[in-house]
This record gives sequence, C-alpha cells and structure tokens, in this order.
Amino acid sequence: MNEVIDKIISEKGTAVEAVIPILQAIQMEYNYLPADAMQRVCELTDISLARIYGISTFYSQFRHQPVGKHIIKVCVGTACHVKGAMRVYDAFKRELKLDENDDTDKDGLFTIDKVACLGCCTIAPVVQIDNTTFGHVEPSKVSEILYEFLNSDKDSSSTSSGLTSNIKGIDGEIRIGLGSCCIASGSSDVKAELEKSLKANNTKVDVKQVGCVGICNQVPLLEIHKNGESPYYYTKIKSTEVNEIIRKHFRSRNPFTRLRTDISGIIDNYIINGIPKSVKKYSSESVDTPVAEFLKGQINIATEHRGAIKPDDLDEYKKLGGFEALQNCLNSNPNEIINTIKQSGLRGRGGGGFPSGQKWELVKNTNSDQKYVICNGDEGDPGAFMDRMLLESYPFRVIEGLIIAAYTVGANTGLFYIRAEYPLAVKRIKEALYYCEKANILGDNIMNSDFSFSLNIFEGAGAFICGEETALIASVEGNRGLPKMRPPYPAVSGLWGKPTLINNTETFSLVPWIIRKGANAFADIGTKNSKGTKVFALAGKINRGGLIEVPIGITIRKIVEEIGGGIPNGKAFKAVQIGGPSGGCIPATMSETPIDFESLSEVGAMMGSGGLVVLDEDDCMVDIARYFLEFTQDQSCGKCTFCRIGTRRMLEILEKICRGDGKLEDIETLEKLAASTKKGSLCGLGKTAPNPVISTLKYFRHEYLEHINGKCPTGKCKELIEYFIVDECIGCTKCAQDCPTDAIEFKPYEIHIVNNDLCIKCDICRQVCPVNAVIIK
Amino acid sequence: MINLTINNTKVSVTEGTSVLKAAEKLGIEIPTMCFLEGLTNHPSCMLCLVKDKKNGNLQPSCALPASEGMEIITDDNEIHHARKEALELLLSDHVGDCEAPCRPSCPANMNIPLMNRLIAEGRFHEALKVVKEEIALPLILGYICPAPCEKACRRTQVDEAVSICSLKKNVAIDDIENEIQYLPEKEPASGKNVAIIGTGPAGLSCAYYLLLHGHNCVLFDKNNEAGGTLRYDIPDDKLPKSALDAEIEIIKKYGAEFKLNTDITKEKFNSEILLDFDAVVLAMGNFDDSNLSSFGFESTDHGLQINRNTFEVNDTGIFACGNIIRSRRMAVTSVAQGKAAAYSVHQYLNGIAPERKKRMFNSKFGKLFEEEIPEYKKETIPDARINLPVGKLDNFSKEQAITEASRCMHCDCRKPTTCKLRIFADEYEADRKKFLFGERKKIKKYFQHDIIVYEPEKCIRCNMCVEITAKEKDTVGFSSIGRGFIVEINMPLNRSIKELLNATAIKCAEECPTGAISLK
Repeated sequence: MNEVIDKIISEKGTAVEAVIPILQAIQMEYNYLPADAMQRVCELTDISLARIYGISTFYSQFRHQPVGKHIIKVCVGTACHVKGAMRVYDAFKRELKLDENDDTDKDGLFTIDKVACLGCCTIAPVVQIDNTTFGHVEPSKVSEILYEFLNSDKDSSSTSSGLTSNIKGIDGEIRIGLGSCCIASGSSDVKAELEKSLKANNTKVDVKQVGCVGICNQVPLLEIHKNGESPYYYTKIKSTEVNEIIRKHFRSRNPFTRLRTDISGIIDNYIINGIPKSVKKYSSESVDTPVAEFLKGQINIATEHRGAIKPDDLDEYKKLGGFEALQNCLNSNPNEIINTIKQSGLRGRGGGGFPSGQKWELVKNTNSDQKYVICNGDEGDPGAFMDRMLLESYPFRVIEGLIIAAYTVGANTGLFYIRAEYPLAVKRIKEALYYCEKANILGDNIMNSDFSFSLNIFEGAGAFICGEETALIASVEGNRGLPKMRPPYPAVSGLWGKPTLINNTETFSLVPWIIRKGANAFADIGTKNSKGTKVFALAGKINRGGLIEVPIGITIRKIVEEIGGGIPNGKAFKAVQIGGPSGGCIPATMSETPIDFESLSEVGAMMGSGGLVVLDEDDCMVDIARYFLEFTQDQSCGKCTFCRIGTRRMLEILEKICRGDGKLEDIETLEKLAASTKKGSLCGLGKTAPNPVISTLKYFRHEYLEHINGKCPTGKCKELIEYFIVDECIGCTKCAQDCPTDAIEFKPYEIHIVNNDLCIKCDICRQVCPVNAVIIK
Repeated sequence: MINLTINNTKVSVTEGTSVLKAAEKLGIEIPTMCFLEGLTNHPSCMLCLVKDKKNGNLQPSCALPASEGMEIITDDNEIHHARKEALELLLSDHVGDCEAPCRPSCPANMNIPLMNRLIAEGRFHEALKVVKEEIALPLILGYICPAPCEKACRRTQVDEAVSICSLKKNVAIDDIENEIQYLPEKEPASGKNVAIIGTGPAGLSCAYYLLLHGHNCVLFDKNNEAGGTLRYDIPDDKLPKSALDAEIEIIKKYGAEFKLNTDITKEKFNSEILLDFDAVVLAMGNFDDSNLSSFGFESTDHGLQINRNTFEVNDTGIFACGNIIRSRRMAVTSVAQGKAAAYSVHQYLNGIAPERKKRMFNSKFGKLFEEEIPEYKKETIPDARINLPVGKLDNFSKEQAITEASRCMHCDCRKPTTCKLRIFADEYEADRKKFLFGERKKIKKYFQHDIIVYEPEKCIRCNMCVEITAKEKDTVGFSSIGRGFIVEINMPLNRSIKELLNATAIKCAEECPTGAISLK
C-alpha cells in the first residue's frame, strides 16, 4: 500500500491544500480510505492526522469502511423524493437483506448509499449502480434492476465510434444528446446501436454527439437532419428501435441488409409507469408537438446553440462566434468591460443576485500582487442541474466568460470548482482546457496579447455548504468547508487572503453573449431590476421536465403550463418549490408571480441557483418541509449553534408532526425557532434553511393543522395512513406476490385484503395493481 | 483609527479590531464561550451576538470587524432573547449533570459527591467541613434521616445506592471523637441579637448559621432540655441521646446561649423578646401544640403563615421555620429551613430585604440508558454496598467508609462553577427543556488519559481544543469529526486520547468552556 500512497503524494504534493486531492486519489484506488493510508499520508506530508480525519469525515464523498464490489447510489434529490425515492431505497435494502445500520450486503457485492442529487431530476426516481444510471425506478422493480445490472455488458457505454464525420457522399446528420441525463436514459446504448445499425446498413450519415438538448423529458432523443429536408425528432427511443428508424430515413446501400432489417425491425411496446412508451416522431415544422411547445418561450443565451453544438469541438465553437468576445475584450480597457457588464444589469446567478459588474469592479480595484477567479460549479441543491448541463455541454463558453472576467479584474490564475458527483462535467472541462491551452487561449500571452492566465480544476468532495463562497475557499485551501464571517468579502480577501472573484457557472456563461451582442441586448430581456435570462432545472410532477432558459420575469404559470405542459395524470397543480433548501414553496394560486429576484423574495422563496420542482395534489407540504430540513441539518457545517442545532430541532418538530404526534404549540415553537435560526445563523445556509418551513407554514398551514389532527391529507406520511383494497379488485394476486412482508394473503379471483399490522407502507401493491383497487386512507 | 459607537458611546479602535474587543475597551462585557485570544475565532456559540443598528442584523461580535461609522447595540430584548435561545439550543444538545442527582434531592442541598470523594481519599475532616456548609446536625441526621438522596443516587441503576447518610454520620463521629471539634471561623461580629424560640432541629440549625454569620443567638425552650422533637418524640433506639447531646454541645461551644424551662407567652413575647432582640425566629415545633395561635399571627391549614421564600412572618424581623409552618416528618427539612431562615435573618439584620438564596442553574438528564452504565462504572469500584448489621445505629470502620464512599460514580460535573454554559444559562435564565424533542445522545466518558477526562456529550463544538492542539503541534490532538448536527470532537481514527494528546492536555481542559474536557 505504501507504494501506492507514495506515488499519489509525489503527484499531488505535500502541502496542506493537497489533502482533498490526495484523499480523492486514495479513494479512487481502494474505493474507501484505509486507516493505514491516512496514516501514511500524514507521515509523508505537512498534513496532520487530525486535519486529514477532520476533512475525510466532513466531505460525504469519502468512505471509511471497505465497500461492496458495486455501489448503489439512490438519489434522494427533491424530484426523486417527491417521486418516492425513499421507497426505492427501502426496497433495495430489503432486496439486499440489509439491517437498519448496514449498508453492504453479506456477500460484499453491493453497498447502498443515499446521494443528495445526481442531477438527473427529469427521470426521477434515479438510481446509479457504479456508472450505470437507472431512471424511473419503482420499488417493485429493484430485483430486476440488480439482475439486469449484474448480467449486462458494462463496457457498452465506452464503445468508440467507428464512424468518421467526413465520409464522402453523406446522406445527412444524426444528432444525439449525450448529457448525463441522456446517458442515464439510455442514450449511450442508443448511440452504440445507431453506429452498429449504420454500419450494418452501410448508411453514410454523420453522427454528431451534442451536449444536453435540454428536452430531458423526451430523451433519448435523436434528431435526423437529412439533406434538403426539415429535421425530425425521435423522442424516448430505445436501442431496439434504432434500426427501424435508420431504415425508414436512409435506404440501405446494401439490398440484402435492407431485406434483413425489414424482418427484424420490430418495435416493442413496453409498459413503463402505466404509460405506453414507444417511439414518437415529430417534424420540427409542426408547432404543437411536445418538443416545439417545450422550446417555445425559451431564449438561449447560456444555452446558445443548444442541441446543435458538439461540447468538445473547439473549432465549431469558434465558428459560431466563440472567443470573439474574449478577443474583443483583450483589446479593450477593463473599465469598459465592467461598464458593459454593469449596463447589462447582470446579477449573480448563484442565488444571491449580487450585481456582477459591481463585484468585478471591487476585485479590480483592490490592489494586490495576486488575484484569483473561481467558477463556482459546486451545485449542491437537490433538484438542480443547471451548472452540470452548462459545464458538460458548453465548456468553452464558461471558459471564455471566465477568462474575460480574469482579464478584467487582473487575475492570472483561475479555478473551476466542480462537485465530485459530476464526473462528466469534470471530464469535459478538462478536455476543453487542454484544447484551449493548445490553441493559446489559455497560458502565456493568450491570443497574442500581454495577458497570461492559467486555469485548473478543483473537484469538490461532496458538501453542499461549499457552494457558499467562503466555505468553497476554505475547501480549496485544504480545510473543512466552514464558511467565514463576511466582511471581509472574497473580493477583498479571498483565496489565500488575496482578492478573489467568485461567480456562478451560469453567470460566466452569460458573459460572452453580453460582450458580443452588447449590454442593451441583454438588458432588453427581463424585468426592471432583473435582466436577461435564467436557466432552470424543471422537474417533479411535470409533463415535460428539462433544462430551460427563460427570460426573467416569466410567470410560474407559463413555465408550468406552457413550457412544462402541465401536470401529468390529470392531477391538480399544487405548488412549485423554487430555490431548493434555501427557497420556498409558492402555491398554485400565486402562479402569476413573475420569476425575478425581488418577486420571489417577496413571496418567501428565492431564485436560488435555479431548481424548480413542481408539486401536485399528492404531495404533502409538511413532508416537503421535513425533507429539506433533513437535508440542511445534515449539510450544515456544524459550527454555529443556530444552524447546527436549530435545523435539527426544526426537523424533529416536523418529524413529530408527520408522525401524527404534533401538538398545536409545536407549530408555534417551530415558527419561533425558524425566525431565530434565520436571524442568528452565521452564513447563508443557516439563514435560509428555515425558508421551506416558513413558506409552507405561510401558504399551507391547514396541512400542518390536519396532521396535528391525525390526518395526512395527501396520504404521504406513513404513520398516518393505511392501505385498503376496494371492490374493484379482480383477484389477479399481483399485490400479494409483490408484497415484501406478506401483508396481503394470496387469494386468486377473490378480493384481496391488506393486513395493516404487517404492512410497511412500501406502496408496491398500489403501484402494481392493474385496476387501481389499492387505495390509501 | 476607526470610529464607531457602541451603545451610543463613541470609541476609536485600530483597524481589524473586533466589535467584541472594541466593546471591551468601553468596559462593556459581551458574553462569549468560544472566544480565545490568539485563535482564529470562527464564531460558534453565537452568544456574543450584537445588533448593527443601521440594518437591524444580529452578528457575532467576536468575528465582526469594527468599521467606520458603525453603530452597535450590545444588549436589548431581541439580543437577549437570541442569546437565551442559543443557550437553550446548546442545552438541548448537552447531556450532562451540573449537580449529581443526589444533591438537589437533599433538602439541605448538601454537596454529597464532594463529601464522598473526600472520604474516599481518607480526608474525613475536610469531608466534615463540606457537610457542615449545609447541615449543622450531621450526626443526628445520620441516625434519623430517611435519606431521599439515596433514592436519587445513580448507583441504584448499577446495584444499590451509596450509603450517603451513614457516611455523613461517620465523618460527624470522626469529628466528635477528636479532641477539638470543628467550628468554622465566624464572620465579624455584628453585635445583633437574635432570639430563637424552640430548640428542635430547625432552631438548632438556625442558631448554627446565625452564629456563623456573626450574630448572637439566644435559644428559648419550654422544656428543661434542648432538642425538641429530637429528644421528646424520637425513641432512644433510633437516636441515642448521647448523639443529640454531642451536637447540642457543639452549638453551645460555638456560642449559642440556651434559656431552658422558659415558656414564651404572648405577654413575654411582646414585652421582652420583641424589645430585647433585633430579630426573632419562631421554631417551636407543631403549630397546634404551640401556644402561638394566641399571638395573632395569620395561619393556614398547615400552620403559621409565612413568606415561603424568605421565612418571614412579617416584615418586622419575625421569622419562622420547621414544623411550625408545616408539620413534616423529615428532620432534614427542618434543618434546611433553619439554615434558610438564618440567611434571611442575616440579610434583614444587614438592612437588606431578604431574598431566598438562589440555586444555580442545573443541567440534568435523568436516568442512565442501559449502555451508559458501563461508562459510569469506569469511575468507581465494583464493590457492593456495605450493609451494616444494625443499620443506622452502626458505624463504618474507616476502611469501610473509604470503600463505601469510593462507590460514588462522580455524577456531578468537574467544572460546576467555571462552566460558561452553566454560568450564562443561569444568567439568562435559560430553559433547558425548551428544545428537548429528539432522543438524547448517549453518554461516553473517556478516562484513559492521566490528566484529563473527556465527556463528549457536554461539548458545545466550539473547536477551541482542535485549534489549540493544532496550533501548539501536539502529538495529534483533537479533530473535528463529521459535519452537521452529528459533528463531534474526538481523536481521529478512534485512537486513544492518552496516545494522541500530550503537551496541550492541561490547556485544553482549562480553556474548554464546559465540563467536556476537565482535569481529573
């Protein structure tokens, strides 16, 4: 082991700030952090054991126990939560026969873990086993999933393309999105099948791998661009359907294969979630298709050229105007750039909404021999995946924005802080940095100017609090991510005590457009005090979820009804949760509220970084508040009293209410504690953590009162509900077969009965019942 | 220089000074638990919250840099409330007792664990001094006290209670067997005279503490011997007369004057007692048996009506204690009341409106969980209770007393008077139960170290020890482990404190704001 550790240290260095990268490398090697390895690190470096252990236990990425061969990560992000993630988690635990405190099965094959958010909110609930992601997971399907995982060919995702894009006589172009969501939905398999199919049919088509298409609700999605024809979209396709599609659009050049594919090209209709799911084909010219509706009303600035641009193609980015803005800036005075940013009205997209121009100016005007620029890509909100999409799909755009900022404030060193849960984003940025360095866009005298700039990546290790800028800096410096008191602001004293500009990923990605198109073009979009567009991750109980970029000031109703296509299954729209754990729930009755910084604050929510989870009539608002407090009390850095203990006590009160043990005075205590936690906490996390409680109490107080009276009106809170089977039961025995606790007796052709003493409320019976005969009371 | 105002007073400080320090310059004290000069002072306890008058925000003054034109308020209702709530949150996560359960259950509030420890060390005389701080008649009570303390003793969860009552008697006997008995040094003589009517447990106790406070005492009794119920109601086979005589003798030696065979009639009371004495304490036993009903004082169903807090019958210097105010079976209660009445009389004689001696804030968590019993056994001996053949009439040998006292589990905190959490909880009248919602954490005690004891559930996560050990480059030192609510301070990798904490052990114990890290 010592040799391995020694090698890691020789690569990462012995300084205190190397601690996180060293631990990450060790974990990469062993899948956990062996005690001896940590001991070795402290022998060879300047890092004390107390620090190593303090850090390894602070960041949730690190494990201290050996793990099973495969790791099952059950996403418990907001979108997954409202779609029953905990039931999925419980189902895996049952399937693997794990006791309450175990996380690894007896055979050491699987280790199960909850993760805050995998950022695949549109295909919730999501489970990741090693590198394979499963979407729309149901508790009754977990054994199938494990079986499928163990018996699948795990290398399929890495098959490389045998096609080149410059074959003569190309018939057209097929675009396929390969963002994390798309891959999770099976895009890699589709791509592999596509390549196989094209080869077999001897079809000469250019396959273009593009970034996130944004239409996450319809993925895997193929766009077929044929010479002289308007493009066609194929949504929600399966790898088995690819051959059929190819055959329809492109005639095989080989008559024999044409014949063979005719026979084998049968499209299967699968039933998933009770909704028949098969290939849907839309022409781009039709206006009322889901795809067109989804795209209508959006403005692409951060997501410019969405679905058309290849993430890792520098030439293409340049061809489409990329790095023109940077070129422009390198020839101008930094003060002019600041003026442009100021005039554009750009405000930070990380949540706070601080005017960006003012921040840049502050850093620029602080005298120092060294300054830093950091891109904050530590997107930790459960239910948000904007930064991930931008980093994965538009790495060059973010880089360009960052270099412009660095030039403006006079920084020669920059950093991407990207959370560890986003491996694809890290990979794409790494590649992009490499291409930029080769093209003299990064490094010394970039683009033949006097300006030199180097840019590196720091991988976060799993801590929501590190999205807070002072905690982020602490983490880069090799510390536990504890936020500091501001002032001093990082703009004055940041990384290593030097002036540091920290902007959110989205903020940087808007900069090149503003420079290219001018401040006014940006300022023309939006409202009086909130300019431009905002990217949102639209998820939850919505027909068309995905990544959207909309003009600020758009109403909630427009997003939910027009872009999102309303609520599925004919359910009633209840509320939207905006801003994640720092935000609040806005009821459907207030859906005319325009989305801008001020309006959202007024109604008790906040822009946050842009998670937008739609809730329907089945969602319990007390449970939502409880869910967020569970998150924050775990993610609190644990330093200041109000945040560390206050959030926990709020959670305990909420749990009590959800159990049906709540009393009227508990609501009052909760309200008061929420107010003092808001007032007394040190940093933004604690100050905003009570928001989900405050907003639900404000708009859905009656639901709290009903719980106090022993009733969960939506049937979500386990302790307050019972399952019943009504007369519609056809005696198919499905529920009895799937019930994990034998609470339903097997009685063919008779009406089944749930024994509520044995029932664990896993909801499987209700999900498998073909005639909706299982009800909750 | 930076100019700001704190509580509307101007002050100038150098740049980089914290508001806490700026306030200190003005002599304004801001409470804080996690601040220590020389450390980074990353705010944690939030007790030092102050208000920025311009925006109304509350901010921790220890980390808030003073800035030009700042207007700070260091105490108003909102701030007071926020600090109190911070304390209440900390207390909800603080599993530990300030006082061992036995002590508050003793009507006289005797410092039982301290007595036990001194006996265990063979320091009987010092143990007696501790006893006598609260109990004037330990020998007598050693025979007849029903010992509510032993019912509260935590050792009952292991086997049987420590024989507190008998141990107390043992140190009293030890004292009486000495040539010279212990008489605490009196406060300067006040020249005031106090009449105590009745020489039962209340009257005797009252006399003892009045003498201690420097006042003269004359005790009246209608009988020809002193002792009241102790002599006339309790049979000799429960309380030997020799024991009673011995302790009365001590009180005489201490300076009390006894006037026996003196029945205090209404006339005598008005014409002599009220004129000759600066204060009077009525302690003549059962109200119905006394002739007090004719004195014209107000009474209740139980007895003479008094101010329950101060034992005043009225505000003209007449006090009452013992069975006269309510018939009780426990002599220890009378002894406790005699002491409390003496304190009120003392205040009255000094021209101060009497007030009850306030007991300090007490954090307590109740019964041990099964898995905590081994933790508490770490600091005691496994021996079973020594039961004497004739019960309370018998005495322990010195060796037996040492063994029996060693059975005490040291439930009380090692920093009862220096713990900042207790001091501020007391000052802000914090309600320790306000946020007790979840299941309490389980107690662990770390004893391996030679110098210190670590009790993590008393920790408030200020991280000062982590910084001290890191800054002074101790072997390894404390580490802050985990995050969120479950963050805890301990040794990395479950290694032993003995192994990893060396040079800074004493400093950690001294600077720890609570009893989490304390000297052995």
